Amino acid sequence: MLDQIAQLEEEALREIEAAQDMEALKELRVRYLGKKGALTALLRRMGDLPPEQRPAAGQKANSLRKKLEELLRRKEEELRAAAAAARIEEERIDVTLPGAPFKLGRKHPLTLVLEEITAIFTGLGFQVARGPEIESEYYNFEALNIPADHPARDMQDSFYFTPQILLRTHTSPVQVRTMEKKAPHLPVRIIAPGKVYRRDDDATHSPMFHQVEGLAVDRGVTFADLKGTLLLFAREMFGPDQRIRLRPSFFPFTEPSAEVDIACIICRGEGCRVCGHSGWLEILGCGMVHPRVLEVSGYDPEDVTGFAFGMGVERIAMIKYGIDDIRLFFANDLRFLKQFR
Amino acid sequence: MRIPYSWLKEYIDLGLSPEELAEQLTHAGIEVDAVERLAELPARVVVGEIVSLAPHPGSSNLSIAAVDPGGGPALQVVCGAPNIAAGQKVPLALPGAVLPGRGPIEAAEIRGVRSEGMLCSGEELGLELGSPDGILILDPDVKTGQPLGEALGLDDPILVLDLTPNRADCLGMLGVAYEVAALTGAAVKHPPASPPEGEEPTSEVLQVEVEEPSLCSRYTARVIDDIAVGPSPLWMQLRLLKAGLRPISNIVDITNYVMWEYGQPLHAFDFQLIRGGRIIVRRARPGEILVTLDGVERSLDEEVLVIADAAGPVALGGVMGGESSEIKPSTRRVLLEAALFNAANIRRTSRRYGIPSEASQRFERGVNPQWVAEASGRAALLMAQLAGGKVLRGLLDSNPAPVEPRRVTVRPHRMSEILGMKITPEEVREILERLGFAVDPAGRSFEVTVPLRRGDISLEEDVVEEVARLYGYEKIPATLPRGEMQESREGLPGRLQGLARDTLTACGFNEIITYSFISPAELRSLRLPEGDYRLQAIPLQNPLSEEQSIMRTTLLPGILKTMQYNFHQREMNQLLFEIGAVFLPRQLPLAELPQEKLRLSLGATGQFPEANWYSPSQPAGFFVLKGAVEALLHRFGIAGVRYLPAELPFAHPTRAAAIMIGEEEAGFIGELRPEVAEAWDYPQPATVAELDLDLLIAKANLVPRVAPLPRYPAGLRDIAVLVPRSMPAEKLERCIYEAGGGLVEKVALFDLYEGAQIPAGKRSLAFTITFRHPQRTLTEAEINAAQADIEAALARLGAELRR
Repeated sequence: MLDQIAQLEEEALREIEAAQDMEALKELRVRYLGKKGALTALLRRMGDLPPEQRPAAGQKANSLRKKLEELLRRKEEELRAAAAAARIEEERIDVTLPGAPFKLGRKHPLTLVLEEITAIFTGLGFQVARGPEIESEYYNFEALNIPADHPARDMQDSFYFTPQILLRTHTSPVQVRTMEKKAPHLPVRIIAPGKVYRRDDDATHSPMFHQVEGLAVDRGVTFADLKGTLLLFAREMFGPDQRIRLRPSFFPFTEPSAEVDIACIICRGEGCRVCGHSGWLEILGCGMVHPRVLEVSGYDPEDVTGFAFGMGVERIAMIKYGIDDIRLFFANDLRFLKQFR
Repeated sequence: MRIPYSWLKEYIDLGLSPEELAEQLTHAGIEVDAVERLAELPARVVVGEIVSLAPHPGSSNLSIAAVDPGGGPALQVVCGAPNIAAGQKVPLALPGAVLPGRGPIEAAEIRGVRSEGMLCSGEELGLELGSPDGILILDPDVKTGQPLGEALGLDDPILVLDLTPNRADCLGMLGVAYEVAALTGAAVKHPPASPPEGEEPTSEVLQVEVEEPSLCSRYTARVIDDIAVGPSPLWMQLRLLKAGLRPISNIVDITNYVMWEYGQPLHAFDFQLIRGGRIIVRRARPGEILVTLDGVERSLDEEVLVIADAAGPVALGGVMGGESSEIKPSTRRVLLEAALFNAANIRRTSRRYGIPSEASQRFERGVNPQWVAEASGRAALLMAQLAGGKVLRGLLDSNPAPVEPRRVTVRPHRMSEILGMKITPEEVREILERLGFAVDPAGRSFEVTVPLRRGDISLEEDVVEEVARLYGYEKIPATLPRGEMQESREGLPGRLQGLARDTLTACGFNEIITYSFISPAELRSLRLPEGDYRLQAIPLQNPLSEEQSIMRTTLLPGILKTMQYNFHQREMNQLLFEIGAVFLPRQLPLAELPQEKLRLSLGATGQFPEANWYSPSQPAGFFVLKGAVEALLHRFGIAGVRYLPAELPFAHPTRAAAIMIGEEEAGFIGELRPEVAEAWDYPQPATVAELDLDLLIAKANLVPRVAPLPRYPAGLRDIAVLVPRSMPAEKLERCIYEAGGGLVEKVALFDLYEGAQIPAGKRSLAFTITFRHPQRTLTEAEINAAQADIEAALARLGAELRR
């Protein structure tokens, strides 16, 4: 009996060791430990032994059962781990392959700049106003203190439809349209973004371009406020250390008037090719709203004052992104457009 | 306006370098665009003095000059020009000098005579000086041997002013001098302007009548006799060249020279050709004709002011003289006109005839009424000095209403209020006086008398600017506006445009911006039928080109042109969109402003997604655009949208849909008709869409009402049907919803198949149906019953169930 047990042990150990997969292991468990298994059969024949041999044989058989169970469990663990490892290796990916093709489109660079300008001024309490692109002579010129037969009309060569109707040459008509609607209420604080048109076409002039007009009218609005507002704008737009310079200039609808330069963002004011070695880049025109413009718009210039400014969006985008030909904005070359984020 | 630095120095002491002066003027609002030099002269060209002249033995046209180069022995130079003589100083190009447009000068044998250099004409030096076939004769007082550029003052800096239209005063050297005086405090010196007058009174030979004082507020005339017309002296020619004017003859040059000094245009007539000894300033009569100096015949009418003599017009007043009375070499007696003309009338006349002259430019902007007589005297003096003229006694002067200087009340406290800083009355006064404004205190205010040269100043605000610009804009503090707050978030329409851009870029579309004006050919390419509103495009009266001659009525041409452009750059995969206005007239020609409607256009071509290793690609066609439109409408919160087959003139007849929101058409999507794609030279199909963005904005609903989450589980069933290809999927979906007896929550198409294994003319569609009851869990039996109803209903539609 003891020999049989020893033989069984030897045989079982060998076979468990040799098992290749779970299936084989399951089969071995049945073969040795199942109801009809070899060890079970041995145990069942225990009664045939002489009583004095039973304890030793029983002990032996039981310890073999425990041993086999332990071995099977370990083998099973081992096989499971091997299978898992194999599966994981099977599932290996090449993480350097490109990701799924989520191709984002791009906003037009002028939109990006317009959105930025708008965000800066709405944050300062300016509302967004809009006006028509095809405009009347009155709003584009007369109401802005640019009478017919005045040389100031030469500053803006216009596209006409009829003698009284034209493509607006600037966003300034929105000043008057807005004030007319709002007078006599205060304050007026708006920006007016939009397309404008002038008869010009070269590397720095496009027959269609974009402007943002700004207007603030209230009691006690000053030229110093204009300067402070534009300084803040320049810093938000071009960086916290940005400096600005105001130079006296002339616009028929502002008095006093100024042109505003920022320190050249390429050379930081040292002087380079981009700024024509002046250290400064002109970005906008501005001034205190002319009393006649306030008057025709329904405000009393003795009671209120205002400032206004107008900036070219293309100009700012060209400075910001280092673009040297304005026509790129309207060619819509995808290789150009896809460079913006 | 070009200001030669050395010339300006005649009128004011300049303690500043040209660069400093430019900087200060720019800061004061007189923008100096550039500081230039007239020309760079080649090296090794010097002032030579002709010591002696001998005939050339081999040619009667040549002579041999001995020329002193200013040190060293005289050089022997062979020369062919007829105008040289011993004792003259002339430009001498030494061997090695490189003149514009020719190789280096070398010593050479000319017809057997050695020539050790070359004498030069103005033209050979690249200067519009002297006569083209003669050597440039220099002033006798230049130093022999001096480099020529130095002798001619060609290194003199020229300040190029970019003047704003209000600063007419700086269209004259003296005006600029007064501006400099305000900056530096130096005094302005006027040039001598009192001509020696003879005995004969001007009024003996000439009568002046101004019939139209509203268009000519002042007219003065002088007569200068015994004139010898010839070239003006070199120094004057050089100054005119630096100023950007072409020297013509001494008389014409003097009128231009004095105009440059005073900003006062002058005109010189040949007096012998003024008929009847009379000048009449009047409106032209209909039918009158004048040939102007440029040789062009102008027909005149009553809108035009003319200077006439007893027989007819002799000049377009203030714009251009007439050819008949032009100064000629034979002119002996000159009528010198200095007048003031009406700005608006001059502007209309000069624009009408297309003559933007130096004179008209000044009259349009305003000429100083104070210097009319002085400028006339100055020119007469120069004619006496430089052309041998004898000035008749007295200035004929029609000046019925002399202009008085303006007086403006200025309140220093108001000035502080406008500028936002304290500025004391003393400072205000000091600055105004520097500008030459007379200041009289009147209580808390000043009565300021504005000099006549500053016609641009009439309001208190104008004076505020004068003070501020001289005080220095840089000294004004930077503050922020105070006051009542207001809501400033961008309004809904603007925000929705932003949302549309965000959504479409997230879908992979690239934003474009195209011109609002298009070409008629582009519009025609859409094959729109007669009567289509989009053919009513507003034409520009003065377009830059045919390409940009009408206002767009649809955004399609912009998208089509951009796709074409990018095809040419070999970009085969394109997803594009544009947001912009179209312009729809109420009538043509325009009588009132047109409607401006906001539109959104889309374009797609190529593969979507672009070929990649990860997922299969499909054509970027109708369904890509439809998907983008669906995403956009979903983002806008617009529900109940239907896509109906539509016929569009430019679209593929069976691949186009109208987008319907309820009963309203919100736009269309369509693949381009092959003929249209071909007309645009497309290498592959393309699909476009255009939406009425105003309508989408009106229909948008950004705030959803949240539905409670379902409390009971859903049951899912798949169902596949075989239907004729012509059966719209939408019809099947509706049938499923309707037959489901209110238990169908959702129907989703998850497979579409046609091809092998499917009978011809049929296709298979497979849907997942989600069943749910809001108040209880559905039983299997209930779901099965509902599905049976659906299957029966589909079968009635002609669908064959696939199991």
